[in-house]
Amino acid sequence: MKPILLVEDNPDDELLTLRALKKNHIHNPVVVARDGPEALDVLFGADRSGGIVPAMVLLDLKLPKLSGIEVLREIRRSADTRMTPVVILTSSREEQDLMAGYELGANSYIRKPVDFAQFSEAVRQLGLYWLVLNEPPPESRPT
Amino acid sequence: MTGTRPVGEVLDSPEFFRRILAIADDAVLSVDEDHRIILFNEGAEKIFGWRADEIIGQPLNTLLPQWAGAPHTRHMHAFAAGEAVARPMRGRGIRGRRRDGGEFPAEASISRIDVGGRTVFTAILRDVTAARRIEEDMRRLNADLIDRAVQLENANRELEAFSYSVSHDLRAPLRSISGFAQLLVEDFADTVDDEAKDFLRRIEGASTRMAELIDDLLALSRLTRGDLMPTLVDLSAIAREVVDEIRRADPGRARVTVEIEDGMTAVADSRLMRTAVVNLMDNAWKYTSRNDSARISFTSGMDAEGQRVFTLRDDGAGFDMAYADKLFGAFQRLHGTGEFPGSGIGLATVQRIVHKHGGRVWAEGAVGKGAAFHFTLGEREGE
Repeated sequence: MKPILLVEDNPDDELLTLRALKKNHIHNPVVVARDGPEALDVLFGADRSGGIVPAMVLLDLKLPKLSGIEVLREIRRSADTRMTPVVILTSSREEQDLMAGYELGANSYIRKPVDFAQFSEAVRQLGLYWLVLNEPPPESRPT
Repeated sequence: MTGTRPVGEVLDSPEFFRRILAIADDAVLSVDEDHRIILFNEGAEKIFGWRADEIIGQPLNTLLPQWAGAPHTRHMHAFAAGEAVARPMRGRGIRGRRRDGGEFPAEASISRIDVGGRTVFTAILRDVTAARRIEEDMRRLNADLIDRAVQLENANRELEAFSYSVSHDLRAPLRSISGFAQLLVEDFADTVDDEAKDFLRRIEGASTRMAELIDDLLALSRLTRGDLMPTLVDLSAIAREVVDEIRRADPGRARVTVEIEDGMTAVADSRLMRTAVVNLMDNAWKYTSRNDSARISFTSGMDAEGQRVFTLRDDGAGFDMAYADKLFGAFQRLHGTGEFPGSGIGLATVQRIVHKHGGRVWAEGAVGKGAAFHFTLGEREGE
């Protein structure tokens, strides 16, 4: 089972997201990256020789060092990950973030609800849609 | 009377020209080849402070600042030798000297007239101190305005950065508060007693409410960012749509009569006007919820200055006029949340929108006797 890459710097949000995934029986392994460079290391390897192509990236925008938008740009630039489903999961719904996210080819943009029940429901629907209903892109390289 | 002389002879008369010279506000003065003053009119007397009989025969340099004497003489020689017979003189360097030594900025034109083998130079000159001061004031005002525009722009940018950071940073801890309170209830259901569960639910509820307040505040700040896009807006049609939506959302409230005057139009931003009408109508709907049956009306009239006034009236809970000025403040509420729910942002939103259109909004009411909200849109009838 391909892993989910969770890019999230807030440990509380990380725990809540992991909780919501577990609660909704999404059993893919989860790799957590806590800032932009860490996310790129996971995806492309620390020496850029190749990393993990996840089933889905859950991407926060406001991150230390490299922002989520910059991470997304790198994801779309690489032949390995350019078709990987990327769901922006963030606090903001500022127009500039929405625009930048969609322009760079984000597949979804979800604003994290404050209420945990709603948050959990959002994660459930995301998992169901992107990991079950949606047909993933064909493999672009042998795994 | 000795009969009428032909007009041609009037034009030949020295008296005629002396009188014309006398009525001119400008200084008219002439010098001979040696730059000695030979003509000095009343206007020149007023401007320079010399009487003609004192100054006639004196060198022209008497009327110039000391520093200007030598260059001026060179200019005169060049002008005398050149082809041109007349030349305007403007610019910062042209200055005159009054009898008391004071200098003033001037505009002048000079001409060279050759008559009977003699050459006479004549200057027509005016004191432009006042005009220069106005120019200076305008330049300063303009510079001030530019400064202020820059400051405003900076303030706006800061405000945007602030709302951006509010929307990101304030929500994250709220999510933790709400999330972990809920997880406590879920994970420790057996060990947490009912009172503790109630407290945890209150924590959750409060964080959810605070998140809504943050959202409302951000929406309010975002609302009036950007330019107005005025078109001819049919307020009656908007109001009817809004009432339909409210009725659909709250079908239990059948006994509300809504009257909307036909054909109320205005030149305004239609998106913002819809938001304003939604807020006013919601407000009326909410504050009549305790009535057995309610009446809401949306009408227009003309005030004493001929300005169109729109009025949304209800016969609901009303308010105490003593607090009328607090109605439009963000998060100001005259009723407890338990009594009528809401964040207190609706009327603040209406006020922002009306002000953005250059209009006024005010309210009338009495406790238990309903409320009326009036607004104008800052445009005169027929415009």
